[in-house]
Amino acid sequence: MNGFRLGSSAKRRRVTILDTGQRYMCGEDQHLLKGMTTLGKRGIPSGCHGGGCGVCKVRILGPKSNYRTLSMSRAHITEEEESEGIVLACRTYPLGEIELKVLGKIRKNVLKPGRGYVFGKPIPTTRDKTDEEREKI
Amino acid sequence: MSVLRIGHINLRVLDMDEALNHYENVLGMSRTHEDDDGNVYLKAWDEWDKYSVILSKSYKAGMNHIAYKVRSDEDLDTYKQKITDYGIEVEELPEGTMPAVGRLLKFNLPSGHEMRLYAEKEFVGTAVGSTNPDPWPDGLNGAGVHWLDHALLMCELNPEEGINKVAESTNFMIDVLGFYLVEQVVVGPDGDIQAATWLSCTNTPHDIAFVGGPVQGLHHCAFFLDSWDDVLKAADVMSKKRVKIDVTPQRHGITRGYTIYFFDPSGNRNETFGGLGYLAQPDRPVTTWTEDQLGAGIFYHTRELVESFTSVYT
Repeated sequence: MNGFRLGSSAKRRRVTILDTGQRYMCGEDQHLLKGMTTLGKRGIPSGCHGGGCGVCKVRILGPKSNYRTLSMSRAHITEEEESEGIVLACRTYPLGEIELKVLGKIRKNVLKPGRGYVFGKPIPTTRDKTDEEREKI
Repeated sequence: MSVLRIGHINLRVLDMDEALNHYENVLGMSRTHEDDDGNVYLKAWDEWDKYSVILSKSYKAGMNHIAYKVRSDEDLDTYKQKITDYGIEVEELPEGTMPAVGRLLKFNLPSGHEMRLYAEKEFVGTAVGSTNPDPWPDGLNGAGVHWLDHALLMCELNPEEGINKVAESTNFMIDVLGFYLVEQVVVGPDGDIQAATWLSCTNTPHDIAFVGGPVQGLHHCAFFLDSWDDVLKAADVMSKKRVKIDVTPQRHGITRGYTIYFFDPSGNRNETFGGLGYLAQPDRPVTTWTEDQLGAGIFYHTRELVESFTSVYT
């Protein structure tokens, strides 16, 4: 079980969301998204928490020894991306200090702005940042 | 000739052990079969056919196919002809293709989702039996869901490019499979774009639903509970077991059902759907929800849509 438990003896690690500068402490027994939402923090889009929907896609900077991951949908994280430190926050557990950039966005890849509907809502015309724009952060 | 009800859903999961823990201990289903490829088959206690959920290990989450049971074997021949005449290719899978099931028809809805029809599935009986039964069995795990109730499929909707797979799939279900429209959402400047539909082949408000989105997928599959109390208890079970809840207990405007939305460990959205809503009938006037009141249609109390609920699916 991945949930936060009062009195957990797991070591707590610092996580920094570089896009916003938001910082929080995440136990080694919590995934990065659970650690964030449990504390009421924001920054990484929160979806299914099961590695299936792909909205919490992030790039982790620094060595792979600083985190471990569980299985993630290959529809959202390719093997190549995984090798570059791109992961789903809901399937990633900290083993050291984590610095990350947010890549996933609820509309990423699938919504063409201003065209069509999702759940009866017009898809907004405001455009999300492109990956290139994100890289500059 | 008729479609009886939803028969089963084949879900893709990333980790079989995690998935089984969820479907057995959170929903309270029972394992009834495992095939040589490692697919696991489960049923809920109040179902009498061998299985309603098939879990298949995969590299990505989502739905492989959804199946409906028809009344008789001869119906399959009739439906095969009707579907073919509609311009959709049908493949017949001989008995033995799937365990405990007779021959199947396999085809894609206009939305692209794979659907199967069958007439025979091995009878195993409910957990309380059919002779002088108790109302519920002892030893239920978790929420103790009664049966697989319905699924909501996301269909491509982009009116600017003339794409409305919601309307196309809805028409197919009505014209070919004999379902009837119960509720709908209409959007657009003229209020004439069918953006979501709820269809029935029984007397429940929906046996399948279609909602528009950018790409096809599975929005959720739902499992039946009796009452609001059962829904509350199911939410308690989910918190105890650290299940990711998307939307806590609430009433739907559409269908009037009592709901919880939550995710299985692979990110496939589940629902526990409480209450029968109302007695749906083929001649009941279609309920229509307009774009400005859609929030209340989906979540009657808050009257607001939830970002993850509308945008996240597998």
